[in-house]
Amino acid sequence: MATGGYEGVVIAGVGQTRYEKRTEKTVQHLLWEALDAALSSAGFPMRRVDGLAVTAFVLPPDNVTVVAEHFGLEPRWLSQGAYGGASGVIGMLHGARAIQAGDAEVVACLTADVFDVASHMDLMDRFNSSVRDYLGPYGFGGPNGIYALHTRLYMDRYGATREDFGKQVISQRQNALLNPNALFKTPLTMEEYLNARPIADPLRLYDCVLPCSGGDCVILAREDLVASQSGRRVRILGGGEIHNFPVEDVFSLRGGWERFRDRMYEQAGLGPSDMEFVQLYDDYPVMEFVQLESLGFCPPGGAAEFLRKRDTTVGGDFPINTGGGQLSAGQAGASGGMIGVVEAVLQLRGEAGARQLRARRGMVSGYGMVAYGRGLSCSAAILAQEA
Amino acid sequence: MDLKPSPRLTAINQPFLRGCNRDELWLQRCVQPACRKFVFYPRVCCPHCGAGALTWEQATGRGQIVSFSRVFRPQHESFFPEAPYYFIAVRLDEGPLFFSRLDRQGLPVETNLIGRQVRAVFVQHTPEQRLPLFELS
Repeated sequence: MATGGYEGVVIAGVGQTRYEKRTEKTVQHLLWEALDAALSSAGFPMRRVDGLAVTAFVLPPDNVTVVAEHFGLEPRWLSQGAYGGASGVIGMLHGARAIQAGDAEVVACLTADVFDVASHMDLMDRFNSSVRDYLGPYGFGGPNGIYALHTRLYMDRYGATREDFGKQVISQRQNALLNPNALFKTPLTMEEYLNARPIADPLRLYDCVLPCSGGDCVILAREDLVASQSGRRVRILGGGEIHNFPVEDVFSLRGGWERFRDRMYEQAGLGPSDMEFVQLYDDYPVMEFVQLESLGFCPPGGAAEFLRKRDTTVGGDFPINTGGGQLSAGQAGASGGMIGVVEAVLQLRGEAGARQLRARRGMVSGYGMVAYGRGLSCSAAILAQEA
Repeated sequence: MDLKPSPRLTAINQPFLRGCNRDELWLQRCVQPACRKFVFYPRVCCPHCGAGALTWEQATGRGQIVSFSRVFRPQHESFFPEAPYYFIAVRLDEGPLFFSRLDRQGLPVETNLIGRQVRAVFVQHTPEQRLPLFELS
């Protein structure tokens, strides 16, 4: 049975800070910049925010409650994402439920982080107790090592090649060249991709995200608070989350999205073929393949074949990660789970500049909380322009 | 040179870590007759059936490689001198998945290690703690 949809709630604003390889700014500063930009876009003053969903890995010892203090807010609903890169989408879905329940009227869904390669590796070495005690001491190589194992197994089981992953990485780089906020500014050739510095084989440099600094935000509001005018309101048609799936098998190569996708499509009254773009969680190309399969775009093991026949650039027949994704724009920690939400909303508001699609609806997915050998949390949502 | 990152000794994982210091691999096992599954990493309850009672049993130390990677860029400086090395996921004969390294280098680069049989060998990880690596059997 489909659970209720997200009626009565609109995405009213969107904001993103500058993405930078290094910054002197604190994470609180980036959170505020993203929030300020999104509030301007929504036309709400700061004091109108009465709900706040925040995810930022480097925020401790602070937390979402202290962020409210810092910003001078008096929220009646707070949430802090504990789902890594799945938190962006989940924060938005939970925020929408809070508005439906009357627990808040204007919810800011906010992520930011201040990272570089060294601080990212340091965090990942003690990300949670199963990583700290049962992976870190064995030299696992961070998430690169974990997803090297998944990539190796995926290639071995399904016959996908380095070139298959390369095609998608190169297409995202092309998309990034149309995004002024992407950190990578030059095209990538297959030769450069295949011969890049090895990190944890079969992964090489361009299979891995660039840890960076930045922040992202969307504003949700009760629909009667937002004027209905063209481009102003984006709807959540369906969504879902699942954690620790499948319980018994770290190396199933099945993604948790398959657990809730039918319910999500039923909520939306749409299917995979209705999606006009997909913003996938691209911590590693292999996870994009697993998401395409688990979200029903192709059968298990079929992503390489599916992508060989399609053009996933902005001008293509199946656009994926239209702003370049984390692989070419950069991974600002927890903002890696929000960059796809922001990109989807920009596309649906007609504010995507040189990379603007003609699209009325699309999907965004999240994935995260690396623990004992895999990410534990999967999320996704279907977003659409108001009809 | 920094010490390698070490597991934190807790009331839950003590039998495992003490066993390592005797060059023995100890796993938890569910006492429920309908379950009896082995468990790793150490937990407070059986993640297969949810029961609370787990005992400890010595494992064979044998298993099969599920997947592997040569790590060129370790996550911690203390591993840099050893890189590249093989990071591996081992399906222990008792069932649980165990992540570790191969203790020997010098394999031909194109060697596919998936499905290869391995056995645990214990090495001095820090002055206080020995840990299992694996070698091809």
